[in-house]
Amino acid sequence: MPQAQDDSAPSKAAHEPRRARIVELPAVLDLKAASPLVAELLACRGDELLVDASRVERLGGQCLQALMSAAITWKADELPLAIVDASQEFVDGLRRFGVALEDLTDQEFTK
Amino acid sequence: MDAMAAIKQTFFQECEEQLAELESGLTAILEGDGDAETVNAVFRAVHSIKGGAGAFSLDDLVRFAHIFETALDHLRAGRLAPSPDLLKVMLRASDALADLVRATRDETNLEPQRFAALAAELRAFDPASMQQTGAAAIVKETDGAADCADDEIVFRPILMDESMFDEMDAPPAAAPRLFRIRFRPKPALYAKANEAALLLREVSNLGECSIVCDSSELPFLPDLDPEGACLTFLITLSTECDESSVREIFEFVEWDCDLDIAEETDEPAGDGVDISALVERLQASVEAERAALEEANARSAAGATPPSARQNFSPAQVEGSDTGDGVGSIGKSDPAKSDPVKIDPGKSDLAAKGDQPGPSIRVDLERVDRLINLVGELVINQAMLAQRVLEEGLARASGVATGLDELEQLTREIQDSVMAIRAQPVKSVFQRMPRLVREVAAMTGKAVRLVTDGENTEVDKTVIERIADPLTHMIRNAIDHGLETPDVRVRAGKAEEGVVHLSALHRSGRIVIEVSDDGAGIDRPRVKAIAADKGLIAPDAALSDDEIDNLIFLPGFSTAAAISDISGRGVGMDVVRRSIQALGGRISIQSRPGRGSTFTMSLPLTLAVLDGMVVTVGGQTLVVPLTAIVETLQPKVADVHEFGGGARVIAIRDQFTPLIDVGRELGYRADNADPLAGVALLVETEGGARNAMLVDAILGQRQVVIKSLEANYQHVPGIAAATILGDGRVALILDVDAIVASSRADSDAHLLAAAG
Repeated sequence: MPQAQDDSAPSKAAHEPRRARIVELPAVLDLKAASPLVAELLACRGDELLVDASRVERLGGQCLQALMSAAITWKADELPLAIVDASQEFVDGLRRFGVALEDLTDQEFTK
Repeated sequence: MDAMAAIKQTFFQECEEQLAELESGLTAILEGDGDAETVNAVFRAVHSIKGGAGAFSLDDLVRFAHIFETALDHLRAGRLAPSPDLLKVMLRASDALADLVRATRDETNLEPQRFAALAAELRAFDPASMQQTGAAAIVKETDGAADCADDEIVFRPILMDESMFDEMDAPPAAAPRLFRIRFRPKPALYAKANEAALLLREVSNLGECSIVCDSSELPFLPDLDPEGACLTFLITLSTECDESSVREIFEFVEWDCDLDIAEETDEPAGDGVDISALVERLQASVEAERAALEEANARSAAGATPPSARQNFSPAQVEGSDTGDGVGSIGKSDPAKSDPVKIDPGKSDLAAKGDQPGPSIRVDLERVDRLINLVGELVINQAMLAQRVLEEGLARASGVATGLDELEQLTREIQDSVMAIRAQPVKSVFQRMPRLVREVAAMTGKAVRLVTDGENTEVDKTVIERIADPLTHMIRNAIDHGLETPDVRVRAGKAEEGVVHLSALHRSGRIVIEVSDDGAGIDRPRVKAIAADKGLIAPDAALSDDEIDNLIFLPGFSTAAAISDISGRGVGMDVVRRSIQALGGRISIQSRPGRGSTFTMSLPLTLAVLDGMVVTVGGQTLVVPLTAIVETLQPKVADVHEFGGGARVIAIRDQFTPLIDVGRELGYRADNADPLAGVALLVETEGGARNAMLVDAILGQRQVVIKSLEANYQHVPGIAAATILGDGRVALILDVDAIVASSRADSDAHLLAAAG
């Protein structure tokens, strides 16, 4: 990342050549959470992204599409994006929509 | 009121609107001008009622609405032709539905037989009534075929290819049915606080279910509307439930999503089918097509590069129940193949938007009333301020005066806008009439056609609410008393079917509503005989035709030879007249023997403000409604003629017009005023008759806020209402018609006295 500055996650930057930013998902991903989520994800564009889904208790359709859109966007940008620490509720929620966790995560990145 | 009751009340209010929509739609279809949208609107109306009733567990209502809705669905899908017979049954069903809604609202009971009978009639039209019985156990070959035929009309190709199911075991047991559901939420679904996740969960609770998420329309993040909806869910459901229970899940979101439900009748999935086997097969099938898919992807990427991202998420097959295996199984969906799924979604979205009426809000009438009251006070206050400024002797061109002028204009505009909030088309009342006509026609055995006109004429809501009863009465009367029976009509050389014409129009700041029939007209000798019989008039009284016609407005008058169920309910035309007068309205009648009668109601557009001429009479300030005044003139001595009993006439352009001394009429003075010292107002009353009213002086024209005298004091004959003037004094508003009528009665009495 050419424009990457060591401001938010210095320790990570120190360990990895490419810097990954972390977005922590809120517990309730409903209609109200969709717009902030999109904004938050967009703010991270251009960086590697780790999405922390450990706290998620409920997943709604609009946040799902935000995450899915982020996944294809990052893929198109050829940057890794991964969901980490997915809670069981998050996995179940995805399953309910017919989406697998793996779909949202760049497999190589997590390895 | 608790929240639930409030919501319920809103539901019933909306029901009324839906019922009106339903009836007018059905009538339009019956008359042959119903297009597809009308049928849709009718269907939606019943559907919404059913949906709401379901939410409140109003089971009777749901049941009947469901049967009705089913019949309408057939009509909508073209499986039923809109024959007059069918529509007549449907119209009666809509009446019954209205009764049921009201009975439910008022928690009264209705005889169930009527609904059962109607439901049976509706079902009789059902081309596939068997299908709706719902029990999975009776899915026989013939029914399956019927389903197929039905489904063809609504079937949409969905993502999964037939071939996927080809190799599936088809066990002999027919019970579980396989549905392919394509569910595409629209943004409105989320906006209305529904959640696709919950709906999907409900579906998976019905049975074994596999969900594929089609994200082919999903754009890149910067282009994503966070509150939009770009995902389509393709559900394969194996269940023992029938289609209606699947549809029930989507009941409340049906208009907020694209939903296709198709049943796989050819390949019924049996009990024996292991769902994970199904998943495996699906996956195998998908994997097999992977090559083709990647080719398609490459093509689309190389092609015009559609704005939506074509890289698809691999669909995960989901099991509705136990095992977790399904989570990991990933296939690859095929955008090229999913394309036929979208039947031009952009276009259909657009069409849906075009159908939506402008956004509106529901406001408590009380709040509007308060606002109107406050605006009224503002008008009075503004007038007072203007008066003060005048008293201060400020120059006309001073800044204060011009500012005040602007304020006045603004005030008036505010007032008009506020009034417009309350204005409603008379449609809401007119819409109730077709049913009334049908019922009364059925009871009297007459053939009647109701023609309405000017339904969109707007009038204040309070007026609308209060004309419904008199109007109902007048229409009943027109059919019961006015129209002849078919055989009499035929003998008289008229069409068998009588016509009742109901019209509304604006005329000089008032609304005029006419109810006319082409019946026999008023039987004047009989009316006179009855009136004499009941002691309402002297047996030998010489009356003009007009006067005889007006006898029917007398209290205690009833012409029906046999008291019928319809009109003879102890309330006669006198009640009608009284309720119209209470509104500041007038009613008149024109009748021609053999040609029919016309009742004309003239009502103020609003009960809140009035343009009036401020006059003084005997030291009192009065307001004469401007709408009644034709012109004002200064009487000349040569024009005024006096005759017996103190009655006077004034010659206006060679026409003699009665001169009414307002001061004497209201008892401000005992003797006639000097006409030369006053001003005459030429007024026109409802019948079109002209009279001159003598007042002392004219102070000016002003818009005044009406304050009801009845509400604050009591009714005073000759006075319509009161108002507060700029100087804070109360002024009475004249009831011109009443003054003219009482003066005529006075002079008649004088004449009789003089003659006797």
